[in-house]
Amino acid sequence: MTGTGRIGSALLAAGIALAVGSWCGAARAAGDTVDWKRFNGQTITFLSSNHPWAQAVLKRLDQFTELTGIKLRVDTFQEAQMRDRLMTVLQSRSSDVDLFMSLKSREGLLFANAGWYADLRPLVNDPKLTASSYDLADFSPALLKAEEFKGKLAGIPLNIEGPVLYLRKDIFARCKLAEPTALAQLPDIAAKLKACDPSITPFVSRGAKGALAYTFSNFLHNLGGDYFDAAGKSNLCSAPGKQALQLYADLLKNYGPPGVVNYSFLQIREMYGQGRAAMAFESSNEFGPIMQFPGRTKDSDVTLLPPGPGGVSRPTVIGWGISMSAFSQDQGPTWYFIQWATSPAMQTALALDGIAPPRVSIANSAEYKAWLAAEPVRQEWSKSLDTMARTGTSEVGPPMEQQPEARDILGDELQQMILGQVNADQACAAADKQIDALVVREQHH
Amino acid sequence: MGTMAFGRSGASTAGWTRRRARFAGTAHWLLVPALAFTLALVVFPFGYTFWLSLNDYQFGHSARFNFGENYAALLHDAVFWQGLGTTFFLYFLSLALQLVLGTYVGLLLNRRLYGQTLARTILMSPFMMPSVVIGMMWLVILDPSLGAANYILGLLGLPPSQWLASPGLVVPVIALIDTWQWTPFVALIIVGGLQALPIEPFEAAFIDGATRWQAFRYVTLPMLRPTLLTAAILRSVDLLRFFDIIYITTQGGPGNASTTLNIYAYRRGFEFFDIGYASAIMIALMALVAIVVLALMRLRRSL
Repeated sequence: MTGTGRIGSALLAAGIALAVGSWCGAARAAGDTVDWKRFNGQTITFLSSNHPWAQAVLKRLDQFTELTGIKLRVDTFQEAQMRDRLMTVLQSRSSDVDLFMSLKSREGLLFANAGWYADLRPLVNDPKLTASSYDLADFSPALLKAEEFKGKLAGIPLNIEGPVLYLRKDIFARCKLAEPTALAQLPDIAAKLKACDPSITPFVSRGAKGALAYTFSNFLHNLGGDYFDAAGKSNLCSAPGKQALQLYADLLKNYGPPGVVNYSFLQIREMYGQGRAAMAFESSNEFGPIMQFPGRTKDSDVTLLPPGPGGVSRPTVIGWGISMSAFSQDQGPTWYFIQWATSPAMQTALALDGIAPPRVSIANSAEYKAWLAAEPVRQEWSKSLDTMARTGTSEVGPPMEQQPEARDILGDELQQMILGQVNADQACAAADKQIDALVVREQHH
Repeated sequence: MGTMAFGRSGASTAGWTRRRARFAGTAHWLLVPALAFTLALVVFPFGYTFWLSLNDYQFGHSARFNFGENYAALLHDAVFWQGLGTTFFLYFLSLALQLVLGTYVGLLLNRRLYGQTLARTILMSPFMMPSVVIGMMWLVILDPSLGAANYILGLLGLPPSQWLASPGLVVPVIALIDTWQWTPFVALIIVGGLQALPIEPFEAAFIDGATRWQAFRYVTLPMLRPTLLTAAILRSVDLLRFFDIIYITTQGGPGNASTTLNIYAYRRGFEFFDIGYASAIMIALMALVAIVVLALMRLRRSL
């Protein structure tokens, strides 16, 4: 996925348009030409990951069955296992799976090039199949753009997410420290936190090699770096690249928990949730689960990663999408499910479960506003997501088809730095060399 | 055949032969389901994997025959050789621990002790548990900051360990987890072997004044050797293609420190979409398992 999602003014315009648009949509819905019982009795199969979105939607599945009479068979797996099953099904061009969750920033290009996504646009544009109140233009333009490949609409956005910094304001106050306002302050603040309360882990973020690109990328981008240079060569040995590697590795090595090289969202959520870390840089998606730990709603602040030199802030922003298999034999009923699950009504309900809404109108709904207003930390979370949507980039690793392998190469080198086995020069040189070789191999195909 | 025909008349011999021939014909037909089953579920997947290993085949692209290029690339692949080393290290360490401890536990279980049934039930439970549960359980116990293992070390006044996060410790720790799970299985086989041993050699040894250790070393152990080799063969197949606990706990990390060949093949195939190369790794692994198992079986036959 190459798209850097800057949506800026478009988002604002869409927001204003939609305050009015949602009303119009509701009015038009009265004259809908969609026959919801058209596919009554048919069965479709959904390959789902155990993502909070899927859990929240499937909780309401009865409503869909009642509305349409369509039976949804759900196969739920952990994300990695879901992908394994999905690839096997799609590679064999099987119709076993009708719809699936897909992370376009990771596998979008590969799946699109292989022709595995069905184009949803003809379905969206068909007034017999799509309610007039559906309103595709209500989605965040950046997220919608990330779902498009060569003019085809490969999916509908489900959520918006990106790493945010969870901070324990009570610990900062107790240690008489101000919250960081610049990236360069992090090591110093972490050192002071360590001195102030040695029982608390000052900083935690992802150290597991397959997972750390998601959090590391924000460091790279805020320091002004990019994965590739203008000539398309891996660029980690540039000055910002080396600085980012050094800063990220130092923070985890000197101020992170022991064993951080195996840490992904699960461990970080537990550690911060249990009150054992002062700062955690982890996905905005973990907001809901983290806030369920006693005390965290009141003692936490949520913010974006502080900007780099010159105030540069390019937060990482991604979104999951729901896609239809190109080999599905039941496109009609499958689209009905996608439409229902991503409708304004459903996404409003999901937002109240802590799923950051990809539709702009929802941010303006009274219900959602009341939910946000109940806790200051919810407003901070929402504000971070808003800024992320406007200024973020969806570059979570070297932008290429073989992105998972490129992320793994980066993860491997960075882990060696965290373990103190190599320095930044050695790590960046090894990573650049391997990623460049991967680019050559990819071109060879 | 000659002995069978002895004393029979010529006519009845001919009838016997005909019946045998007819039976043999039927027997061939009876074999068909088993053969079809073997072809479909053993020969075909193996053949298909071998064919894939001769192709440059990335998910999302069509396969291209590349004349064993994947195998040539294996020779220069540092991660493959490291994986081979890790596979063998894990194999020898786990097997040695499990055979020694399994024999010890087997000897204990073979005695008449108070509460033996309860002890057997508890001891047998680890290998009945799903590996996913075991992996998750040890992952929590061994977590360096949140887990019980470091807490216990602390109580004993020992420094904390990084356990699965330490590149140097990760393989021995995984070997210990596997040993915890599979020693009871080895012990069960050993108990079976011990109960089948004749009593006379022991009586003779003790009459000759042998100590318990001498009886174990020079009587029990040599007689148990076939049983031990059976246990070794069964564990070898599992250990050489070790996957589940590593996948749950470290996914092959930190770095590539616990990347066995099976984990490496999985990652290349399903995470990096490189099915052709992953198939070549799997064929290499299969060859390795076959060689080790054949060597052990040969050793068993020679006893």
